[in-house]
Amino acid sequence: MTEVKVKKESTDPVDIENRIKELCQQFPHGITDQVIQNDMPHVEAQQRATAINRLLSVGQLDLLRNSSGLLYRLKDTQSASKVKGSDNQEKLVYQIIEDAGNKGIWSRDIRYKSNLPLTEINKILKNLESKKLIKAVKSVAASKKKVYMLYNLQPDRSVTGGAWYSDQDFESEFVEALNQQCFKFLQSKAETARDSKQSPMVQRNSSFATSHEVWKYICELGISKVDLSMEDIETILNTLIFDGKVEMTIIAAKEGTVGSVDGQMKLYRGVNPIIQPTGLVKTPCGLCPVFDDCHEGGEISPSNCVYMAEWLDF
Amino acid sequence: MTAQEVRLCGLLLQEHFGDVVENVGTHLIRNGVLTLRALAHETKLALDLVKKSLCVLVQHGMCTFGPGRRGPAGPVEYHINCEHILHMLRYPRYIYTAKSLYGDTGELIVEEILQRGQMTMSSTVKTVADRLTHNMPEGQSMDYNEVVSAFSRLVETHFLQRCPPMASAESSGTGSAETPPAVTQPSNPESHPDCYKLPYISLSGHGKRRRSSEDGEADQRAAKKAKTDSSECGDEGIHWQVNFERFHLHFRDQAIISAVSCKLDQTSGEIVRTMLRMSEVTTSANAAFTQALSANEIFRALPSNYNIARPILDQYLTLLVDDPMEFVGKAGDSGGGMFVVNLHRALANLARATLESVVQERFGSRSARIFRLLLRKRHLEQKQVEDFAMIPAKEAKEMLYTLLSENLVQLQEIPKTPDHAPSRTFYLYTVNQLPTARLLLQHCYKTVGNLIERRLYETKENKRLLEKSQRIEAILASLQATGAEATQLTEVEEMITAPERQQLESLRHHINNACLRTCGVNRSKPTRTCKLLTEMAVEPPRAQTSDLLAVRLDSSENQVDETIFLLESYINSTQASR
Repeated sequence: MTEVKVKKESTDPVDIENRIKELCQQFPHGITDQVIQNDMPHVEAQQRATAINRLLSVGQLDLLRNSSGLLYRLKDTQSASKVKGSDNQEKLVYQIIEDAGNKGIWSRDIRYKSNLPLTEINKILKNLESKKLIKAVKSVAASKKKVYMLYNLQPDRSVTGGAWYSDQDFESEFVEALNQQCFKFLQSKAETARDSKQSPMVQRNSSFATSHEVWKYICELGISKVDLSMEDIETILNTLIFDGKVEMTIIAAKEGTVGSVDGQMKLYRGVNPIIQPTGLVKTPCGLCPVFDDCHEGGEISPSNCVYMAEWLDF
Repeated sequence: MTAQEVRLCGLLLQEHFGDVVENVGTHLIRNGVLTLRALAHETKLALDLVKKSLCVLVQHGMCTFGPGRRGPAGPVEYHINCEHILHMLRYPRYIYTAKSLYGDTGELIVEEILQRGQMTMSSTVKTVADRLTHNMPEGQSMDYNEVVSAFSRLVETHFLQRCPPMASAESSGTGSAETPPAVTQPSNPESHPDCYKLPYISLSGHGKRRRSSEDGEADQRAAKKAKTDSSECGDEGIHWQVNFERFHLHFRDQAIISAVSCKLDQTSGEIVRTMLRMSEVTTSANAAFTQALSANEIFRALPSNYNIARPILDQYLTLLVDDPMEFVGKAGDSGGGMFVVNLHRALANLARATLESVVQERFGSRSARIFRLLLRKRHLEQKQVEDFAMIPAKEAKEMLYTLLSENLVQLQEIPKTPDHAPSRTFYLYTVNQLPTARLLLQHCYKTVGNLIERRLYETKENKRLLEKSQRIEAILASLQATGAEATQLTEVEEMITAPERQQLESLRHHINNACLRTCGVNRSKPTRTCKLLTEMAVEPPRAQTSDLLAVRLDSSENQVDETIFLLESYINSTQASR
């Protein structure tokens, strides 16, 4: 007499929960209610709902929504353990901050997304910060604004300002030093080209340097503690253009040649200014700070001008 | 006419022609056109003084006359030409150019004509020959033919031109309705067909040396002879004046060539010089481009000492065309490539470089960076300026506000909402090149006015002091000669107070410094003032202290005038293209 053991599906709630968890593990993207129903057809909707709610409240299941309906996903045990001591509101805030990735999110935006009052938000944020789950990063754009992000994430460039900012301070000496180095490099290249006494076309072409070459030179020079990308070097070279010391052309380059971006390469070349400092600035009046107040017969006049007296003495 | 221009014109007229002419001229500038009677009434001068002043102004081409508002029957109205007066600043530069192109003879011809306003060819030739003979060693004299040839070269290259013929009958106060004047408006000298035609004159001889012992008699004899002479030469009534426009075109060409040489290299500068020389007479004054020249023509016209091969020339031309400054443009492919010089663009680039240099010298290189950034990118927000220029936010803000307060940078508001709320408006910084150039031009005029005033003040001050010290010395010398006591001598010496003595000492110090420095500065540009320097180096310096300080100020006036020229040419070129 073989007893056909018919495995009776126990309607034990714990079993249902475990089954649901196993299903979630099978489908890591999430399962819909339909899937649970198919798997355990005898379980009633009521029991299903309680099981799911319990899992959600314990924090082992994630509730997501997609276009077709609700999805349940097994929550990562690690993160589940993290927020174990917190209540729902904190979990919500934590989730919002996590979603913001490495750009961080402002407290006002958290408020909009979670619809929680401001005082609550502040309390929760303080709580989370003390648990070292999130951190506040000062944005370089607006110094009073603080954005929150997960503790172990690196802030994005737009928040910290990238290579030119260290701790919210613009490093002008660093930028100046780079500026001068790039200019010296381009100038020496132009000089060697000029001295080579070849045909003018060859001279001009050899005085050009691509942005890639400049980047390599700066990296090899090793004056930068931070890694600089080619875009950073291009911003430095742009400031040299605005100083009037360098000019730029863009040429078409084959895809795959080193340093080309989207089939183009930028070439930079040191140039000389086209005129000498103009005649007006060689006189004291050209540089005078009180030029507009100067009239014959007034307090400040050409006859008693101190700057002119000094200049004539000189 | 802006206030600064009026002030500068007044100072120039006073310096060159005296107080009376300055009075008349300033009133004419302020009031536009005036009749003789109104002018006499305004200036409160005697009628014949006013007439003489007007004669001087008309002679120099600064004032023109014509029938007035009431038509040919009414009184004549006088109209002043401010630009001509401002050209007086540039006289040294014209003379120097003539000297560099045509030697001493050319220099003296231009100087004479500039001083007199208008002259006939024969009188010019005689005067110049006499002056040259005066400087030559004994026994030599300047032949008239050499001077005539220099004169004709000046006319051929259009540096001198005939004065336009005046209206045949000057309508008098009573007016004569039956003979209306032939020309109602002062005609453009170029519209006269014989503008550059040399008259045939029968003039031969040598320059006469002035003997100092026979000065009085020689003068009278020379004067009488001049009168009889001019009736012999065939150029009655044909007067010549300096063609300022032509000189200005020459200066413009020089500026373009030097810019090209600085930016590229010497050979490119020579190529551009050749191109400009070839298109001197074919291009009109306000053209935006020269005539198109083919590469073959340029190759043939290059100076022979520039031995460059044809392919090299082609490479240079390609490089000139590719240059971002766009001095030279390509207008076609026939004849090996047709090339033009972009005159207006070159002037705009030069004006832009002038503006940038003023900002750089006045406010520093970081402000200059912001200024160039705004010129390139047109409109930028505060944040973008900081990002592009890589200047910390606080400093960038301060520099922008300084530039804004000096009116070099303008602010453009773009509101997002109709109520223009500041928090919802875009504020963009921008630089407009043309208004900024005009602003700087006015600054230049004011600067030159200041320099002239300072020069007059220094001369006056020092003259008083020097005269006093000379008087004291004369008294001392006479006392010593008559054997006076020591106490009397010390008493006289104490008449010069201590600060005055100090001033005299510092003046002597000035001379030595100023002499050295101005000689250094002016070595490349010997002007009339530098001639003064060399003469002074021989004579005792004390008597010429004021002159030396004047030299220093004078040379700086010339330097500011270069800026004025660049900015004026740029502004005129933009007006011509409208």
